[in-house]
Amino acid sequence: MLVTHARQLTFAHLWLAFLAFAVALVLGVWQMWARSPLPAPFVTASTYFSAVTAHGTAMAYVMPVFMIMGFGYYVAETALDRPLPAPRWAWSAFALGLAGALMATVTIFSGRAAVLFTFYPPLTASVFFYLGLVMVVAASWIWCVLMMVAMAQWKRANPGRPVPLAMFATVANAVMWLWTTIGVAAELLFQVIPAALGLKAQLDVGLSRTLFSWTLHAIVYFWLIPSYIAFYTMVPQAAGGRLYSDTMGRLTFILFLIYSLPVGLHHLLMDPQQSNAFKFLQVALTALVSVPTLLTVFTIGASLEIAGRLRGGRGLLGWIGALPWDRPLVLATGLAFLMLGFGGFGGLVNMSYGMNAMVHNTSWVTAHFHLIFGGTVVIMYFAIAYAIWPAVTGRAAPSLAAQRLQLWLWFAGMLVMTLPWHYLGLLGQWRRVATFNYADPIIAGWGPWVVVSLIGGVILLGSGLLFVLNLLQFNVSREPHAAAPGELYASAVHPPARVPAALNGFRLWNALVLVLMILAYGYPIAQFFVGDSPQALVHRVDERR
Amino acid sequence: MNDPDRLEQPWRLWASVAILSVFAFSVLFGFVLMPVMQGRAAGIDAFEAICRALGITPGSPAARQPTTNAKAQPATRVAWSADLLNSLTKATAAGESLAGSCAGCHGRDGRAVEVKLYPDLAGQSAAAIYKQLHDFKTGSRPSALMTPMVQALTEEQMVAVSAHFAAFPVRPIPAAQLPAAGAAIEGLVARGDSGRGMPACNACHGDQSGGPTEAPRLSRQSREYLAAQLRAFKTGERRNDIYSRMRSVAAPLTESEIDGLALFYASTRTY
Repeated sequence: MLVTHARQLTFAHLWLAFLAFAVALVLGVWQMWARSPLPAPFVTASTYFSAVTAHGTAMAYVMPVFMIMGFGYYVAETALDRPLPAPRWAWSAFALGLAGALMATVTIFSGRAAVLFTFYPPLTASVFFYLGLVMVVAASWIWCVLMMVAMAQWKRANPGRPVPLAMFATVANAVMWLWTTIGVAAELLFQVIPAALGLKAQLDVGLSRTLFSWTLHAIVYFWLIPSYIAFYTMVPQAAGGRLYSDTMGRLTFILFLIYSLPVGLHHLLMDPQQSNAFKFLQVALTALVSVPTLLTVFTIGASLEIAGRLRGGRGLLGWIGALPWDRPLVLATGLAFLMLGFGGFGGLVNMSYGMNAMVHNTSWVTAHFHLIFGGTVVIMYFAIAYAIWPAVTGRAAPSLAAQRLQLWLWFAGMLVMTLPWHYLGLLGQWRRVATFNYADPIIAGWGPWVVVSLIGGVILLGSGLLFVLNLLQFNVSREPHAAAPGELYASAVHPPARVPAALNGFRLWNALVLVLMILAYGYPIAQFFVGDSPQALVHRVDERR
Repeated sequence: MNDPDRLEQPWRLWASVAILSVFAFSVLFGFVLMPVMQGRAAGIDAFEAICRALGITPGSPAARQPTTNAKAQPATRVAWSADLLNSLTKATAAGESLAGSCAGCHGRDGRAVEVKLYPDLAGQSAAAIYKQLHDFKTGSRPSALMTPMVQALTEEQMVAVSAHFAAFPVRPIPAAQLPAAGAAIEGLVARGDSGRGMPACNACHGDQSGGPTEAPRLSRQSREYLAAQLRAFKTGERRNDIYSRMRSVAAPLTESEIDGLALFYASTRTY
């Protein structure tokens, strides 16, 4: 089994991702501290919003992009059992992304980009901030092409055989990401960057918010899909069982590709520039994202049941106790599903027009995406890293107990942080705010819950640092890793001998995505060009007086 | 089953049918049924309700458009536009010839002849000067001295004179004449006071732009002039600040804080 170019590529990409993650984690805890009633150092509005911008940029763009690229290279070699095509391009993409991330970071920390990671035009930061992010995204585009080329070459060499599920899903994510980034790329290239360069004095905020919404929901699935790849292809193997259904896996990833894109208007339910009917349409399509989610809960549940029963579990629920919970990947999956349950419930509230109206500008939303992304997704990133690090470093894990402790701490910290945070949102605590006036009798009551939430943040910081330490431990480990990396992936109960082309490629699904995007986003975008649309004055935040 | 088309065709067909039927259902429900029913309850005819749901005509399909007879009373009548801001960046000969009549108080080079009474205009933001001229003229900021002075000025002349004075270099700071304002005042500038619902002065008047377009630069104005303006906002005597931003910030300030803040800005370089 083969890990050639991926060994160093994955090592470099994941370390960069986790370094960005560690820095952003420290900033995150400081931000919670600043918002709490406890006196925090360095707090001014401008330091706070610069920190939030850095935290969001690192956590939403840099960390997941590099994590997904690194994991993708690993999957492309191990699942296809072929060397990666064009490793030089992969390294160029890495260099481009690294340069972009550094450029954005320097711009943020010089105080010239406090516009948060969602940009909020007409606020306009230094152009180097946006160019840095464009470079990160361009790097990921190179990765997308490499993934598609790798799959195409494999298919040519193996005519009629089904693409291994892990690679099929990775390419599904690459294809989806290319679709996803069209929105934000159009916003940056045609609106925000010309404004930052001083070429435009005003821009259409309705249009830019609509374009960003194109990206804003699908990006979440871009982050999420590596976790789902682990659920389908790695977890059944780690649990000692088999994947219940390979076809369910393929359908799930295809449904994510289709239904994560024409749904972004549900982020704009409170925005006036879009009409009720198109909001309704996209909310209805949003509801269908529950289908692949429930398919996954069922399939992974069934796969784990197979594993539990093979290990001697008996009775209706006895198989649960029989599962090898001491293995980090299995433990992380259990914890991720619990967080997905809470987070999914919150998400249903957000996508419902009436309930969203009550929580839209409150901490509920911030808490929701921390629970889903920081919880379900990131805990699986940890587990994936633990699972592939032996093959990447060639050393065995020195301590599984430390890995388990880290995962439990992350789970506990995430619940302690986000559950009170949700509650604060219901109490009316607004988001995008640096500090609160705890002398106000209404706000004073929030104080204790904010402190509890901060404690959750501190636990998360401890867990995150332990994670970095656990990875470093591999380097001091003297025990060589013996097992072949291909053993990571589970085979299905009925391994597919042959699948229809529709489940082995993306041509049909791309056509359907195109149709759905034209129907769902065509008029909502075209309206800004057919009628008179109000323009907002560019508001620079990067100039010195 | 060896014919690839027989394996493929149902996938193409049924996937498209399934996805398009979901879409058709959503369209029927969201574009027709719901607006028509909501419109009926609100007394809006079906066609209008559907147009509103689609966003072709304004308003909600579920409610009549609210109407009001109230007259708006804006704090200022200045409306910023890209053209206006652009023209404010260009100093012209017209501005120079107009400036002669300002020089009696504000100085030829924008440095006031009596700093305790009149503000320096040299190096001030042109948008801030223009906003005040406009407000003097429209009565948003009535002044026995300034209102008659600007009555005769046209829009273009106000722009020209603002751009003219903004182009002069700022007054050099007097070396070591003023005492330091102290940590409490610097705290107000940097962080405000959440206990009194006061945002930081820096939120709008910081060394980085980010505040409203019309926010003036404050450094090196005289202590007396700055303190007088803060007191005018505090008492409500001056009321040309949009959303009463300055009135609400100045209201909870104590007399000594007003003097401290005035001292801070008079003696610092970059605000």
